[in-house]
Amino acid sequence: MVTREDVINIARLSKLYIAEEDLDEMTKAMADIVKFADTINNASEDGVEFDNINNLSNAFREDEVVPSYDRDEILSNANDTDEGHFLVRKRV
Amino acid sequence: MAEGMITRFGRMLRDKELSCTELTEKYLTQIEQANGDLNAYVKVTPEEALKTAKAVDEKIAKGEELSALEGIPMTLKDNISTKGIETTCCSKILEGYKPIYNATVWETLRNSNAVLLGKTNMDEFAMGSSSETSYFGGSANPHDITRVAGGSSGGVASAVGGNIAVYGLGSDTGGSIRQPASFCGIVGLKPTYGAVSRFGLIAYASSFDQIGPITTTVEDAAIVYDAISGYDKMDSTSRGRVGDPTVNSLKNDIKGMKIGIADEYLDGVNDDVRALIEKACAVYESLGAQIVRFKLPSLKYALPVYYILACAEASSNLGRYDGIRYGYRTSSYNDINEMVCKTRSEGFGAEVQRRILLGTYVLSAGYYDAYYKKAQNLRGSIVNAFKAAFESCDVILAPTVPMTAFKKGSAVSDPIQTYLTDICTVPVNIAGLPGVSIPCGFDKDNMPVGMQLIGNTFCESTILNAAWQYENAAGADVFRQSAYGVKL
Amino acid sequence: MQYEMVAGFETHVELATNTKIFCSCTTQFGADSNTHCCPICIGLPGVLPKLNRQAVRYAIMAGLATNCHIANISKMDRKNYCYPDLPKAYQISQYDKPLCENGYIQLSNGRKIRLNRIHIEEDAGKLIHKRGDTYVDYNRGGVPLIEIVSEPDIRSVEEAKEYVEKLQQIMRYIGVSDCRMQEGSMRCDVNVSVRPVGSTELGTRTEIKNMNSITFIGRAMEYEFARQVDLIESGGEVEQQTLRYNDAENTTSPMRGKEDANDYRYFRDPDLVTISVTDEEIEELKAKIPELPFEKVERYVNELGLSEKDAANIAKYRNIAEFFEAASEGVKNPKSVSNFIIGQIFRRLETEEDKENFDIKTTPEQLCELVKLIEAGKIKNNLAKSTLEKMLDTGKPVTEFVSESDMAGLDENALAELCKKAVESNPKAVEDFKKGKQKAVKSLVGFVMKESRGKADAAAAEKIIIEIIGG
Repeated sequence: MVTREDVINIARLSKLYIAEEDLDEMTKAMADIVKFADTINNASEDGVEFDNINNLSNAFREDEVVPSYDRDEILSNANDTDEGHFLVRKRV
Repeated sequence: MAEGMITRFGRMLRDKELSCTELTEKYLTQIEQANGDLNAYVKVTPEEALKTAKAVDEKIAKGEELSALEGIPMTLKDNISTKGIETTCCSKILEGYKPIYNATVWETLRNSNAVLLGKTNMDEFAMGSSSETSYFGGSANPHDITRVAGGSSGGVASAVGGNIAVYGLGSDTGGSIRQPASFCGIVGLKPTYGAVSRFGLIAYASSFDQIGPITTTVEDAAIVYDAISGYDKMDSTSRGRVGDPTVNSLKNDIKGMKIGIADEYLDGVNDDVRALIEKACAVYESLGAQIVRFKLPSLKYALPVYYILACAEASSNLGRYDGIRYGYRTSSYNDINEMVCKTRSEGFGAEVQRRILLGTYVLSAGYYDAYYKKAQNLRGSIVNAFKAAFESCDVILAPTVPMTAFKKGSAVSDPIQTYLTDICTVPVNIAGLPGVSIPCGFDKDNMPVGMQLIGNTFCESTILNAAWQYENAAGADVFRQSAYGVKL
Repeated sequence: MQYEMVAGFETHVELATNTKIFCSCTTQFGADSNTHCCPICIGLPGVLPKLNRQAVRYAIMAGLATNCHIANISKMDRKNYCYPDLPKAYQISQYDKPLCENGYIQLSNGRKIRLNRIHIEEDAGKLIHKRGDTYVDYNRGGVPLIEIVSEPDIRSVEEAKEYVEKLQQIMRYIGVSDCRMQEGSMRCDVNVSVRPVGSTELGTRTEIKNMNSITFIGRAMEYEFARQVDLIESGGEVEQQTLRYNDAENTTSPMRGKEDANDYRYFRDPDLVTISVTDEEIEELKAKIPELPFEKVERYVNELGLSEKDAANIAKYRNIAEFFEAASEGVKNPKSVSNFIIGQIFRRLETEEDKENFDIKTTPEQLCELVKLIEAGKIKNNLAKSTLEKMLDTGKPVTEFVSESDMAGLDENALAELCKKAVESNPKAVEDFKKGKQKAVKSLVGFVMKESRGKADAAAAEKIIIEIIGG
């Protein structure tokens, strides 16, 4: 059973705001989805250990330096920058 | 329809029946005329397209050889990174974001002078089955614009179905290539996991996502697949194409090929669709293939398994959208944590937020074992069930979607009802298998119906061979041009 | 009641790879902000990680050097938490299948500090707060780290310091990290709890985060020990929390409240594949591990006759130990080599960093030659010392400063002649000596030494001079 507290907690972990007035509706929506997800627990089988999807191992990169990007490019999509840094002002 | 558009246009370019610039301009003109109805493109890139077309024309003038995809106008789903060209996943949160690198698939196609017409519409972050969760509104079905094009690669399917692109690349996490291809009466191939590089594909659910072609014919799908598949050192999960180019075996005889039908795939499928699947069986039998009936009981858990695992991965993949390095940032806040929370709450749509919350829930302390771990183990069972099935058949035939394209606006109200439309497509993603959807007729409302051919891992050649043979036999019965697009 | 301290360490060590753990950007320290970045390490949408083979190898070497079991099968997991220095909102780390497990570090008192695990993970970027604004630099983001997790086996500040020093020495020796605490390439989180002496239960622990100096680690642990004991003595209870150490005030304070409690939602990273290490590869890496400092100390004491203290000083840094061993090649008494290093050479290396770098002008071969001249009786110790100074100043070989005639020594007649000259040329000193000023003879001996360019035997000269004066 999904409770309001569950929703508040997962919203906090997800960095999402749910307005107080939307909380009941979201709790109900989550409860429905979780009920749907719960159907897997009707499965009589426990299933089997699942590794990675194509069973690959050891995809490595050699330790060789490739030049980094220009700083202007790295910062080009940022909302706010200053002195070569990404910037988040205290409050806006 | 056995000869694909790519082959045909390629020949016309080589024979100088028309120039690449003329071909490109025809498409750009048709985009202008049709996109208002279809809402397939969210960004058109005429300069980029014409620049490439000019380069191709110069090559032709010099008498140089053209590769298969050279000069062919195409489109990319808006979750495939294109350097310097806005790539938004149709989300407010990536408004204005211009990648500083190219996705490997686009790098490959660009190097062979593919003509990019623009970026196409999709459900926000590929989460949806109708393209209607797009920040830019849904795409329309070219066969009936009051209906959806499907999703999440709805824009690509709408553009290719409406012939305002020769082909396009979509991505398929739970059916997002095959389902819209089915709704729009065209071909969509979801390759084996690891066959096509995911580098530069903006992730929804990493262990399910796979890029693939959406085309009007099986041959086109094979040509595009052969071009984009391959090992990529940037993607640890990449393996590349196994075996010869798939175009080489399209026309192989399928006498004796064992085509499996699992009862579970037909549960709850609407009557028109079921009838057309049975009809397709008859076509295959007439081609000398053998129909094998069997059961896949673990399929009944496929849908919740998919939603649990995909949402879990998504909740983690989408954590990075915090307004600091790129994308949308809220206009007012009191501290950095509030900035991040407001940015995400304002930037993500309702369906994306729902899936992030579900994903966070199933991974959180106290629920991990009951949901995530259990779903992962059932994923293992489904993988094994398919493995066993492919011991008794070469391909599995199934509906792509239990219904045809629904009316716009009808999916939004009940998320779980919408999830059910993915029931036939998600098993392939769960098991990492290749699946192709091809048109197999029309329902009573004259809307296209698609069917799926599913193969064992890296057996793209087999399913495309079976698909081509069906297409060749059924021909005009299953494919109709829409009222839109380029007519040549 | 008597209390004892119970402490454990989580130590983050930056690996000395050329490139970051999941992309090919350089790991070099100290560059301009955001100039060692690419789409992968700033977490642009659509990028994928590709694991650096060398990071895995270094981590395995760290495990082998600390007696760990190396896992043949291991994997990477995502640790989800949102913070501006973490560009993907998850850190790629290892959760339930680390590369190395069940090791230990042995202290000089014989106690073994068990290591629970060593795993690889990526470092975060750096935040700079100015007037409440947050500046973000991702140069450090994606630098490979190992996290070395000990069991709570440490019982005192002294043990803690030795544990950290030992780790530092071992990691430097095997070349997997420079372990510079002041540059942040080695950082410790310290878990501290207290319990009555004799009790075997663990008390509630607090965790002091991000310590980057051994001195501060000691002070913070002492403070935290006292604070917890006071709390318990006054009837209170220790609260499990994360603390920050304030070095200016020498206090600890809580970092965040309970409402911010994290739930990391670990799950396997679907973008990365299984890490599989064969026994052959493990053996291959084992062969690369040099003799470790504590092994060297043992050998220096038992086989080369060094004192425990000198041996430890020499073995502390690999550069110095290697210099010492090369300079002792063919020498009868390596102790004279260590004396020169600890005496003359260390005087020129003021800081630990200087010692670590061991950037000196002379070579071990030159020092070896010098010591051999002494051992052959060809030059005296005084001359050797002054010669070494010149060698260290100029980088020139021994032969530049010690001539054939220096090595020929002084015969008795020549010495007597020089002593006579000393007495004749220094009437004031002779006078002083006659008045009973014993020390005055030293200046006469000094004259002889100077005249002979250090070749004379000072004791013999003194004896002759006293005879001449007739004292």
